[in-house]
Amino acid sequence: MNAQLEAMPETAILDLPPEVVKLAIKDLNFFYGSKQALFGVEVAFAANAVTALIGPSGCGKSTLLRTLNRIYSLYPGQKATGQVLLDGEDVLAPRVNVAALRARIGMVFQKPTPFPMSIFDNVAYGVRLYEKIGKADLEARVEDSLRRAALWEEVKDKLHQSGLSLSGGQQQRLCVARGIAVKPEVLLLDEPASALDPISTARLEETIAELKSDYTIVIVTHNMGQAARLSDHTGFMYLGKLVEFGETEQLFTNPVTDRARDYITGRFG
Amino acid sequence: MTALADTPTTAPARTARGVALDKLFEALCFGAATLLLAALGGLVVSLVIGGWPAFAKFGLTFFVSAEWDPVQEIYGAAGAVVGTLVSAGLALLFALPLALGVAIFLVELCPPMLRRPIGTAVELLAGIPSIVYGMWGLFAFAPWFAKHIQLPIMMSAKPGTIWETITSGVPNGAGILTASIVLAIMILPFISATMRELLLTIPAQVRESAYGLGSTTFEVIRKVSLPYVRTGAIGAVMLGLGRALGETMAVTFIIGNAHGFPTSIFASGSTIASTIANEFAEATGKLHTASLIALGLVLFVITFTVLALARLLIGRQAHA
Repeated sequence: MNAQLEAMPETAILDLPPEVVKLAIKDLNFFYGSKQALFGVEVAFAANAVTALIGPSGCGKSTLLRTLNRIYSLYPGQKATGQVLLDGEDVLAPRVNVAALRARIGMVFQKPTPFPMSIFDNVAYGVRLYEKIGKADLEARVEDSLRRAALWEEVKDKLHQSGLSLSGGQQQRLCVARGIAVKPEVLLLDEPASALDPISTARLEETIAELKSDYTIVIVTHNMGQAARLSDHTGFMYLGKLVEFGETEQLFTNPVTDRARDYITGRFG
Repeated sequence: MTALADTPTTAPARTARGVALDKLFEALCFGAATLLLAALGGLVVSLVIGGWPAFAKFGLTFFVSAEWDPVQEIYGAAGAVVGTLVSAGLALLFALPLALGVAIFLVELCPPMLRRPIGTAVELLAGIPSIVYGMWGLFAFAPWFAKHIQLPIMMSAKPGTIWETITSGVPNGAGILTASIVLAIMILPFISATMRELLLTIPAQVRESAYGLGSTTFEVIRKVSLPYVRTGAIGAVMLGLGRALGETMAVTFIIGNAHGFPTSIFASGSTIASTIANEFAEATGKLHTASLIALGLVLFVITFTVLALARLLIGRQAHA
């Protein structure tokens, strides 16, 4: 047993070929005040692919997601060091225009967060911020986004009702539609299905699978089946460190590190 | 679990004393609630009875006439009602943008180090007795206001224009506008504290979603945060308005206490509360007293309506 333990590496991170890399993370550390939550994370996410982040609660996967669009910088006590390169540009550089950055890197949260406005305005919200487009174009964009989020058929007759009037699953798909309407390059999903029923979850997963061809998607999930079904690459995190990162199939069937194997086979977490 | 299941379903016998105490407790609580309602009812009834001679004598003219002449015993509430509504309305107009600014700064922009001191300062402002505001308004603010704002404005007004009419008045600083500004300072902490609480109820993820789509802070506040708390915010504003309507001492000090419709923003005027405070102790004759009580009833109805609306709106926000 001991001999076998020593034979297994502490960490195993797959190096992606540079031409497929959309987001490259270099020596990323993250701090909530004085408490360090990420330790030297070094990984790359591929374009037009889904990357899943898994690991036990509190392992830092949501924190990692929150550094990528700098949403953490809303909170004065939180800071990140290292580099997050989006197409080679450092997102964490102090001079970056964070609003413009966030238009390029969209995010969908655990709980649905519709804005207090109509379904149409919810989807059009981000588009109106960054683009001056005509009414017809805007309507087409809203319809397209709602179709891609698999919500159009359910809401096409009530676009001017409040977004808050939809069911939880519909609200979450509305948030996905809102996120893709601005045509971001990267879509970050933080446990997007955790508050949904199985049918809504299945629809959301279909949506994500369809979106893959156009976006770089990073999804944090507690649901191992979901990670296995949806993703091309998977990263396993533990105690603020990225322990293993590789092809999803390989990581789930033949994990290289001890920690990942124990987690995937259900020995802890 | 088995032990629990085996327990007999009847509760252990209560001591007679415990049961009696519980009955007493219920009765006391019921009594307290009833007493309060009875007091409110009594208040309304006594206002109606006390003011009845005035309503009987003047009828509807009491509400539409601005003539208030204790010598000839002719009383009309309209001047004081308009003074009350105008001064409270102006106060709200001045206070609202400032209060919003304070609340938004505290919630969204303030460095954490300053959050507590500024928040506390705002709350302390709410605790200053109104008579102190009144004295400050009369002895410090009004003279300064007369010299540096009122006089220059009056001097700049061309004779014969509307601007001259609405800025005319005695340049001593006492008047409707000064009273409104002091009132605004008084209601500002109420509105901003309530607004701050409301803004804090917005879920972090909703704000983050708005920022996450690339909004600037201003866009998040204007398009998401404020609409999110809209009904509650209207309630907060109404609470401030309710306070401004009923405010007595500070206004009595600085409004100038002239009867009739206010003719300009610098003119002396009166509100319902200031009229009552000024005249009640020296009221001559039954009709004068009755008219003042009737004024009190009018103020009660106005304030009650505003507060009831505020409650309704805040309640709706809480359920939304």
